[in-house]
Amino acid sequence: MLDAIFYPASIAVIGASNNEIKWGGRILKNILGDFKGKVYPVNPGETSIQGLDSYSSVLDIPGEVEMALIIVPSKFVMSVVEECGKKGVKGLIVVSAGFSEAGNNELERELVSTVRKYGMRMIGPNTLGIVNEPAGLNASIIGRLPRPGSISFITQSGSLGLALAEWTIDTGIGLCKVISTGNKADIDDVDLIEYLNGDESTGVIAMYVEGIKRGREFIDAVRRVRKPIVAIKTGRSKRGAKAVFSHTGSIAGSDEVYSAAFRQAGILRVDDIEDLFDAALAFSCQPLPAGNNVAILSNGGGASIVAADECERQGLNIVDLSERTREQIKSVIPEFASSSNPIDTAGTVSFKIYNDSIKALHDDPNVDAIVVIYVHTMMSNAMPPAEAVVERKQICVKEKSNKPIIACWMGGAGTEEGVELLKSGCIPNYPVPERAVKALSCLIKHREFLNKVKLGVEPVDKIGRCK
Amino acid sequence: MKILTEFEAKKVLSKYGITVTQGSIAESEDEASSIASSIGFPVAMKISSPDISHKSDVGGVILNVKKEDVKSAYSDMISRVRKAVPGANIEGVLVQQMAPSGHEVIVGLKKDPQFGHALMFGLGGIFVEVYKDVSFRVTPIDKNSALDMISEIKGYPILKGIRGRKPADIDAVAQVLVSVSEMAQKKNIVELDINPLIVGEKGAVAVDARAMVD
Repeated sequence: MLDAIFYPASIAVIGASNNEIKWGGRILKNILGDFKGKVYPVNPGETSIQGLDSYSSVLDIPGEVEMALIIVPSKFVMSVVEECGKKGVKGLIVVSAGFSEAGNNELERELVSTVRKYGMRMIGPNTLGIVNEPAGLNASIIGRLPRPGSISFITQSGSLGLALAEWTIDTGIGLCKVISTGNKADIDDVDLIEYLNGDESTGVIAMYVEGIKRGREFIDAVRRVRKPIVAIKTGRSKRGAKAVFSHTGSIAGSDEVYSAAFRQAGILRVDDIEDLFDAALAFSCQPLPAGNNVAILSNGGGASIVAADECERQGLNIVDLSERTREQIKSVIPEFASSSNPIDTAGTVSFKIYNDSIKALHDDPNVDAIVVIYVHTMMSNAMPPAEAVVERKQICVKEKSNKPIIACWMGGAGTEEGVELLKSGCIPNYPVPERAVKALSCLIKHREFLNKVKLGVEPVDKIGRCK
Repeated sequence: MKILTEFEAKKVLSKYGITVTQGSIAESEDEASSIASSIGFPVAMKISSPDISHKSDVGGVILNVKKEDVKSAYSDMISRVRKAVPGANIEGVLVQQMAPSGHEVIVGLKKDPQFGHALMFGLGGIFVEVYKDVSFRVTPIDKNSALDMISEIKGYPILKGIRGRKPADIDAVAQVLVSVSEMAQKKNIVELDINPLIVGEKGAVAVDARAMVD
């Protein structure tokens, strides 16, 4: 049903404009960018908009209209929605503001009842739009279509979502969908989670949440979803109504209850925006490990200790390697280097050292996941170890291995080429070891959710597929 | 919204299979004396009033009362509380068996506007007041989740028995959590504290409780 909104064959932009500084102009321009379906601008004051015939009402459009974007002042929204219903439009994105967020709850209720009267579905009102990369659809005010990827991002804050979507383009993170939920008057988190669970191009769901509607249904819906869901829930600092009646009342603020509910549903709650996309990136291109036994390979002792400490904090196990693995690694690293986990090559770097070590670690049945660190120095080259990682990863994909490889290329200037290679090779790479380990810990925690919370849920996920 | 007195709250708990300290409300010195004799000495005496939920703050709790002191304890408490909370509706004095020895834990419930009822578990006394060493679940929960909740708190090793102490009856606590979870679904509870629930080597007993219902 939500396909009408995400994969429409035809779109009416109601409130379209020739002025690209206006929202109605900007969004129309964005849609026209890559969208291959039919687009109809609607504006009674114009005959032609951005080179297309303009219609004075959606009812005047000759062909079918599957989805309508509504960008008109709030006082006109009701009549426009009524017309959309009569036209047979299936999905609406109501960008117009001035509803419950401005205290106009009654107007919002009327809006929803009209939408439902005609059997339509609606995102918004007060949304900044949606992006669906696989459909080439940018029905938002984001400047560019994101890079292709399997992360779908649901955001309750429109501006934050759009800023992050822009940021992912420069960071090299691919996105599948960006959904600014607005007031969630009709389509809410429960609908979106269920829809994205069935959406083939979505592999991982990232959420920015201020508050959930329909809490119980949300928990039940999320429990049935095997795709990883990573979320930031803001408002941690705000305690619930300070009750004096009971201890429980004074301690159980809404934030504590959210944490419990998220954990019970199997949502990974992360602390900040960086963690959110770090985890989403790892999910989008690496398989889920079977357990929490981690091996660390590094050319610098300091960085590997930092990584090991973070593993400890996250409850991950620095595993003892088998004798065979240690022998294999010993044969490629210098005599004075350490072949026990974390492995420290003592500054030496080459394709062979990294390739053979990763292979040995991967083949060790005790190892569930590998963190590969490269610390840049004037004496070393960031490319050969990156080539080794990418090559090993390709073999892993071919062998359908479930051992993720997470990279950390440290050092900035001089590592760019290696970092780019990792990016294009679908290796999640982070600039510091803590972030690499935290992202890995999300993969491991999700595996625990699958084993414990989501029992009996059939796998429908596409985790580990690269675009 | 209605506040249940300890006596009323414990009646509800009993109905859901939770063991509570036995007792009755006395409305006179003589009644206090006869209830105490039927329970056995020493006893605990607590003021019973829907207007007073923090009983000890107003001198409304006396513990370890011996046979010869019951009558004077009764009249002293009534006049002390009358002075401390003028106009409070006093139903009488709850005469109760003394709590068994064991670990003090807290089990609580709070109605959340989004997710229904949240269930809380923690070590009682200073642990909950200062360290807030508690775990939460949205109800309903099963026995396994209850056991997880118990093992999640930092103070869990204390219940397991450290330094040669015998372990507390964790299974009994889990059963209480499950019972409270069931209660949340059926009774319209806004907030509930069982504080303390005392856990010994065998069994768990609700020694004090307060509840607000809708």
